[in-house]
Amino acid sequence: MKAKVGVYVCECGPNISEKVDIDKILETLPGLEEYREIELVVKRFGLLCSGDGKTFLEDEINNNGLTHLVLGACSPRDHDKTFIGVCKKTSLNPFLYKIINIREHCAWIISDKDKATEKAITYIRAGINRVLFQSALLEKKLDINPDVLIIGGGIAGMEAALSLAARDRTVYLVEKDDHLGGKAVLLGGLLPRQGGGPAKIREKIESVLGNDMIKVYLESELEGVIGFLGNFEVIVGSPGDEEKKDLKVGAIIVATGSGLADPAILEGLDYSKTDEVITSMDAERMFSKEGKISLKSGGDPKSVALIHCVGREEKGYCSRICCNYMIKIAGYLKDQSADMKVTEFHRGLCLPDKADQGFQKEAEGRGVEFKRVRELTITGTNVRYEGMDGKSEGLKFDMVILAPALEPSEGTEGMADLLGVPLSESGYYQEIHQTTNPVATSIEGVFVVGAAHSPKGITDSMLFAQASAGKILSQLIPGGKITPEIKVSEILEAYCTGCGNCLDVCVYGAIYYDEGRGISVVNEAVCRGCGNCFGSCPSGALRTKHFTNTQLYEEMREAIR
Amino acid sequence: MSHSENVLIIGAGLAGMTAGLELAHAGKKVHLVERLPLIGGKVIKDEESFPNLECSTCMVAPVQQDVLQNPNIVTMTYSSVEKIEGEAGAFHVTIKKNARYVSMTDCIGCGMCYEPCPVSQKNEWEENLGDVKAIYVPCAGALPNVPVIDAQICLKLTGKEECSACADSCMFGAIKLDDTDEMVEIDVGAIVIATGAGNYDASKLPQLGYGKLPGVYTPFEFERLFASNGPTLGELTLRDSEKNPEKVVILHCVGREEVGYCSSVCCMYSMKFAHFIKKKLPDAKIFNIYSDVCVVDKNYQKFFKKVEGADTKMLFSPTIDGVKVSGNGSGMKVSYRGGDGADESLDADMVILATAVVPDPEVGTLAEMVGLELDRHGFFAVKDDVAGSVETTREGLFVAGTAEGPKDVQTAVIQAEAVVGRVMSYLGKVTG
Repeated sequence: MKAKVGVYVCECGPNISEKVDIDKILETLPGLEEYREIELVVKRFGLLCSGDGKTFLEDEINNNGLTHLVLGACSPRDHDKTFIGVCKKTSLNPFLYKIINIREHCAWIISDKDKATEKAITYIRAGINRVLFQSALLEKKLDINPDVLIIGGGIAGMEAALSLAARDRTVYLVEKDDHLGGKAVLLGGLLPRQGGGPAKIREKIESVLGNDMIKVYLESELEGVIGFLGNFEVIVGSPGDEEKKDLKVGAIIVATGSGLADPAILEGLDYSKTDEVITSMDAERMFSKEGKISLKSGGDPKSVALIHCVGREEKGYCSRICCNYMIKIAGYLKDQSADMKVTEFHRGLCLPDKADQGFQKEAEGRGVEFKRVRELTITGTNVRYEGMDGKSEGLKFDMVILAPALEPSEGTEGMADLLGVPLSESGYYQEIHQTTNPVATSIEGVFVVGAAHSPKGITDSMLFAQASAGKILSQLIPGGKITPEIKVSEILEAYCTGCGNCLDVCVYGAIYYDEGRGISVVNEAVCRGCGNCFGSCPSGALRTKHFTNTQLYEEMREAIR
Repeated sequence: MSHSENVLIIGAGLAGMTAGLELAHAGKKVHLVERLPLIGGKVIKDEESFPNLECSTCMVAPVQQDVLQNPNIVTMTYSSVEKIEGEAGAFHVTIKKNARYVSMTDCIGCGMCYEPCPVSQKNEWEENLGDVKAIYVPCAGALPNVPVIDAQICLKLTGKEECSACADSCMFGAIKLDDTDEMVEIDVGAIVIATGAGNYDASKLPQLGYGKLPGVYTPFEFERLFASNGPTLGELTLRDSEKNPEKVVILHCVGREEVGYCSSVCCMYSMKFAHFIKKKLPDAKIFNIYSDVCVVDKNYQKFFKKVEGADTKMLFSPTIDGVKVSGNGSGMKVSYRGGDGADESLDADMVILATAVVPDPEVGTLAEMVGLELDRHGFFAVKDDVAGSVETTREGLFVAGTAEGPKDVQTAVIQAEAVVGRVMSYLGKVTG
């Protein structure tokens, strides 16, 4: 069939018509030799994006039986979607249309009308040539499974589970320990702004266990995962148990929590379980079990040094929560004995919540001393420090409590590998966008929340958990469908040598190696059409739909002819 | 009264837009009300965002476009909520759409009307660093790209003269000088407050010279001065002179003691400013006077250290309270107490005050209207902090972003997404 290309130039009021000689475009194009083989319909219109303009285009496409559509108009940023909408109302596939920006690229930046017109003609010609090499692409719709797998039964995992169950989603909650509650349930107390004590965490565990929508698998781990947003198949198993559970879910939430750095990371630190140097978690456990913090040698300490930022420099990040919980621990000690000498050695206080500074001032009011230091060494329970004034001093305490940096929990690397989610330089999971999309990952449908995402405490962990639930509730609607990316990559089997370059550069885990055929294969439901693989393929086997070499070449060729 | 599945979001910053888009995606009808003529909030005032120094406009523009083009979102700019009646699940809301005098449907945003307009004033959106005409968009790239006429200064609308210069220049008949305010009434099941925050008024601390010494800047003044779509097109020229600064002092924690909390973002943007200045003016000397360092994300300290090493000298002061900025010939002198307690001073021709994040000035009116109490700092209080900070004390009312307290953009977005989860569960509960 002979191609019939409709070319419509928008006047955009005076914006294009005063700076570009539209009539000259209309006269020039039909006479060009390269269009002898095709039919060209060339017209101008006042304002194509207006209601009248859209009706005009719709009629033109239908009445002329156009096979391709090229518009000389404004930036695709303004109206690409408008005209795709027009195409969708007709029989013309939207991938056979192209908008050429002759307003911003010609009319608005070139004062010489002849030159602006010449450039506009060149651009439109390039556009016509490209569109002739474009192919019709069809939207696909896939059924989805609205159920969710959550890995990790700490405070974040439980909160995500409850949020999803509240909207009637079936949740599979997988926890590697024999109990729920993670680190939060081990604590002796919460911050005052968190309004409540450890009982609150235990209540949460009860709500999870009592919720029919949440199926809890204790002492279990994720062993395998395949699939994509809306359609994951996962294998959950327990060590020592042959029987595996195969589950189908639409999304996966990683809530594997955080570990604590080994205080031995601090150079020169004499940390051992046998003397009176303990970690903040040791202190929390002791307080939780015994209601007080005692010396290992027996009796109450009369003086305690609280050391902030243990391992911060080595890790390269601030752990966000330590200042607050160290002030909380100082509170336990002051409750125990108002006369106790409690000294916090810090390197600048991090009190990011609006309530935190008040909390710190209150501790100061109770006699907790805050010493800002540049350098610090601990020998036994002796603390030698250099203050901000450059002066050094040594102080002897009965007990030293350390705040070790948070770090990615054990098994993070293996889990990241299993899920295909990259890790950031800090060793934590990498989110897809730090600012605008912080719980999503490059694997669509896999979310990271809580302290597995970055150092954070109970409140923020729960907030992140709720955020992941929000995203899942809005993305996976029961009975709904998802529309995967249409402009995906494809591999031409005949050309593929199976070198594997494309597997290395695909950040979405969309390409796998087919051993039987010895070639790489694209999973179109996962591919997002970024084009990384296209650039990495040495044999020309890869192409990204709607951005093929031929299409780009033909457009360029015409532009520079 | 029957329950509604629709949602009202007050404030179209990144938090409001994010919540709106996700709810719309879930099939909810969203009414997004913004008092300014443009959407995007505070983030679009920044040239680049920390810590990755991404172009903020490029980051937010796609979100703005999605919001404006989403069929489930009714965006009402230049509008305010006037009245909220009813109860959770069935709120009846009255919204006032201020007369814009320009048709949202007919205007194509070509901008031909600005130049002929004979009156101008300081552009408040640009922190008064530049001028705009009576018919204007707040900045280049504003979305929706439709101007508004300020009826307070327009010759025709104030009745001073029979001027129609803008209408005469418009080829699309989009100027409607007879436009009037319009009241819109809607029913919604839930309300999300995402009205953002303000900045501490630095002139309350007269010893810092803001408002008297032209070389003293607020953070947003500096952002707009540096912005490539700002009044100087990104040229770092000092106020009232064409000169570039040579010695810059960035003062952290301004107003912190007065407001009683750390604003958690100033350390990072102060370091960003130092980096910006050094990039544009490699010979400039830049000093940061600080007391604490708050860099709370896994990627923040890395950025802080990088800038500390390359672009600025960090000067510790045990308290920011004692800092004074005074005129010194054509420049300024910044006096502060050093780490060893001794008095120190620096010459400077530019001083940037990292002022505390404070509640939006109009927050009291809104709180009264929605029947919510504010916390002791004047931000919206949440029901239960351990539950993650998005449910207010009144059923059906949610809060996201800096309306709840100071926070970085990431946390504002997280709250917005958390609100989506909460609203979805809540609407499911009340409407069955």
